[in-house]
Amino acid sequence: MSSRRAVRSGGFGEHALNRRGFLAGSAAVLAAGLAACSRDSPVSSSGGSTGSRGSLTVGAIPDQDPEVLQRLYSTLADSMSAALDLDVEYQPVTDYGAAVSLFRTGDLDLVWFGGLTGVQARLQTPGAEPIAQRDIDESFTSVFIVNTGTGLTPADDLGPLGDLRFTYGSETSTSGRLMPAFFLSEQGVDPQGFPGGPGFSGSHDATISLVASGSYQAGVLNEQVWRSRVEDGTVDPAAVVQYARTPEYHDYHWLLSPEAVERLGPDLPERLLEYFTGLPAGDEVLELFGAGAFIPTEASNYDQIEAVGRDLGLIS
Amino acid sequence: MTAVLDRPPVVPRLHRARTRWAWGLGALAVVIWSLAGAGAFAGDVVNPAGTGQFGRFASAALSPALDGAFLRVLADSVLVTVAYAALGAALAVLLGAAGAVAVARTTWGRRRLGWTLSRGALAVPRGLHEAVWGLLLVNLLGLDPWVGVLAIGVPYGAVTAKVFADLLDEVPRSGYSALLAAGASRTTAALYGLLPPASGGLLSYSFYRLECAVRSAVVLGLIGAGGLGYQLLLSFSSLRWEQVWSCVYALALLCLLADVGGRAVRRRVAAPRSSGDRLRRDPALTTAVLGSLAGVVWSWWYLAISPATLVSDRTGEQLRYVLAAAWPPDVDGPLLSAVAAAAVDTVQMSVIAIAVATVGAVLLAGVAARPARASAGRRLAGTVVRLALLLLRAVPPPVWALVLLFVLLPGVLPGALALGVYTLGVLGRLAAEATEELDPRPRAALTAMGAGPVGGWLYGVLPAATGPVLAFALYRWEVAIRDTVLVGLLGAGGLGALLASRVAAFDWGAVTTVLVALVLLTAAVDLVSARARSALR
Repeated sequence: MSSRRAVRSGGFGEHALNRRGFLAGSAAVLAAGLAACSRDSPVSSSGGSTGSRGSLTVGAIPDQDPEVLQRLYSTLADSMSAALDLDVEYQPVTDYGAAVSLFRTGDLDLVWFGGLTGVQARLQTPGAEPIAQRDIDESFTSVFIVNTGTGLTPADDLGPLGDLRFTYGSETSTSGRLMPAFFLSEQGVDPQGFPGGPGFSGSHDATISLVASGSYQAGVLNEQVWRSRVEDGTVDPAAVVQYARTPEYHDYHWLLSPEAVERLGPDLPERLLEYFTGLPAGDEVLELFGAGAFIPTEASNYDQIEAVGRDLGLIS
Repeated sequence: MTAVLDRPPVVPRLHRARTRWAWGLGALAVVIWSLAGAGAFAGDVVNPAGTGQFGRFASAALSPALDGAFLRVLADSVLVTVAYAALGAALAVLLGAAGAVAVARTTWGRRRLGWTLSRGALAVPRGLHEAVWGLLLVNLLGLDPWVGVLAIGVPYGAVTAKVFADLLDEVPRSGYSALLAAGASRTTAALYGLLPPASGGLLSYSFYRLECAVRSAVVLGLIGAGGLGYQLLLSFSSLRWEQVWSCVYALALLCLLADVGGRAVRRRVAAPRSSGDRLRRDPALTTAVLGSLAGVVWSWWYLAISPATLVSDRTGEQLRYVLAAAWPPDVDGPLLSAVAAAAVDTVQMSVIAIAVATVGAVLLAGVAARPARASAGRRLAGTVVRLALLLLRAVPPPVWALVLLFVLLPGVLPGALALGVYTLGVLGRLAAEATEELDPRPRAALTAMGAGPVGGWLYGVLPAATGPVLAFALYRWEVAIRDTVLVGLLGAGGLGALLASRVAAFDWGAVTTVLVALVLLTAAVDLVSARARSALR
């Protein structure tokens, strides 16, 4: 039958086979399309869960050893899931800007934000509330480091840094950019000045390496990362040394979206706070986040960051 | 690649063409201006103290991370990257086919205005780098696999549309005209008179796009779309060079497979096996096409793509949010002057990059080309150079930018050289292929008359290879302009750095301004490059 039609349409016998092949192919495509509906994508959460328990999508971009958390994320998801009786899905994100947008769109319910990105996310998502911070986050500090070739010795005066080639960390980092820029300007150093303009190394570790190499003569980074790199011996004290430490400020915190509260009940913030503060000392999750404990926090802790962000044009 | 450019005619020219001299001197002046702008003549640019840091990066190449858990992570990411590349390329071919009809000269005939406008419209999707598309799409679609697929498919689709249209316009028109004269409609005449003779070129170019899509899929990972690039970025941000190199090797292997496969298909299309029976299909090509289609179906399933996302209410809502924030573009004075200054940096960066890559490619092409007959030593040297070129293009430009910043002082130069090194990886391979396809007789004649290898290369190969290599270089210049965004995103200056800082501040009005500037700049470079290429012919 099919070959007769093929002959009538002027083709050769071979074409009938191809048409069958084509139909089989289309069927396969269709089947795959249908199968896709019941499959979770390896690159994104599948949206709302259909289980009887509620679901919570969590994201985090820690600034120290991000690859460790991102690759061991099941630890956090499993721990939260068991404690809260929720389906917790961890969503790996690399970019803070993307995380802020995804929080606004409701793709992410609970995000581990830095001080500045947390403020940006809160301003774009009315009703979002800060839940918890680490014990170290309420008195966070950054350190200014200098290449030993500059001959500078530790001091409190940031003035001499203004004449050096200087690099920040990532553009929206609170500890690697925002607060250091604020403290520099307080001491009369133009945070956008520096010979050739300031650099943005992209990460705290890159800042250390670039200052050690001498390409940049000075830089600034989060003290926690600096300490741990000094302890594990990655820092060469003959090449790069600490110059000054900033005053304390608030930094990282967990931010919860209003949508999740609407979906999972008004007691969600309390349950989350209870979970975070109740983690026993030495818990795996605490270690992943480099924390001794989680403690409560509130929006007013970040007012200073918001003001500085506006001054620097990072919040519009 | 061979399908992209018209090969310059191999007619010996004994006079010096005045326009070519003008172009040559102009190019030299622009290169010197760029180097001066990058501070290459103004004192120190090298930082010798940083060689130790550079050495750490280089020596880690010999000890890549190979523990089981990490390799499993890598294997999964490779699958994601392949799936993005396959779907992105497939979408590009579909969009390209549809777009080709809209921009072909055949469609517009003598209506030049319509043709010019439709070509101009293509400059918008083409002028933005895949990574920029990715950044924008994340804001519309959230974490959805469509982000990666569209970010590759849309800009590639626009390039493909242009090339497909050129291919259709350039095939011999006798069949088409005969069908029209016999009373066939224009559609029928195009389907039966233009499509069959163009099909070889179309197929060849589609496979070339697939090869490029693999590298682009990695770049998208860098902005957070998952896959190999994402793992690379994670390890890169804490400078775990051993892990970075494992990712680079995995990527190099993928590129190698895509290159070898794509090249085999393109060779087969260029020189079909005759089987006597003209109606029989080439089994190798049929397998390649069916295999790729199966790959596309698998990718669709693997990434769990759902077309419903594209038309969901949420997507519409986000589109309105971003458009409302992004329009009108910011046009205040300080921003415009910042854009102008950054645009100059971007141009200088791309010019230095392409100059470095061209010089390197011309020097290496002879060694990298596979000669017909050669000694074992020569073969080994060829393989080593080809592998080195593969690694140069497998390490993403942002990584090059950071490691070069260890040994160079900050400024435009490290970013420009990073792009140059990366482009050399691409251009070197194209130059080697061009050298292989040259007429071997001049060199053979010189050798027979007693010329040494260097003399034979200088007088027998170089003059003929210069044309095609320069044409490729000019074509890559346009690509380099867009790639500057990539090194800029990590702080090496230019429009990319400006874009990154405006995106970080969620200043959408300014983002629009920068994007418009990027599109205009790319279109301008495209025009200049096309003029220069036609002067070369």
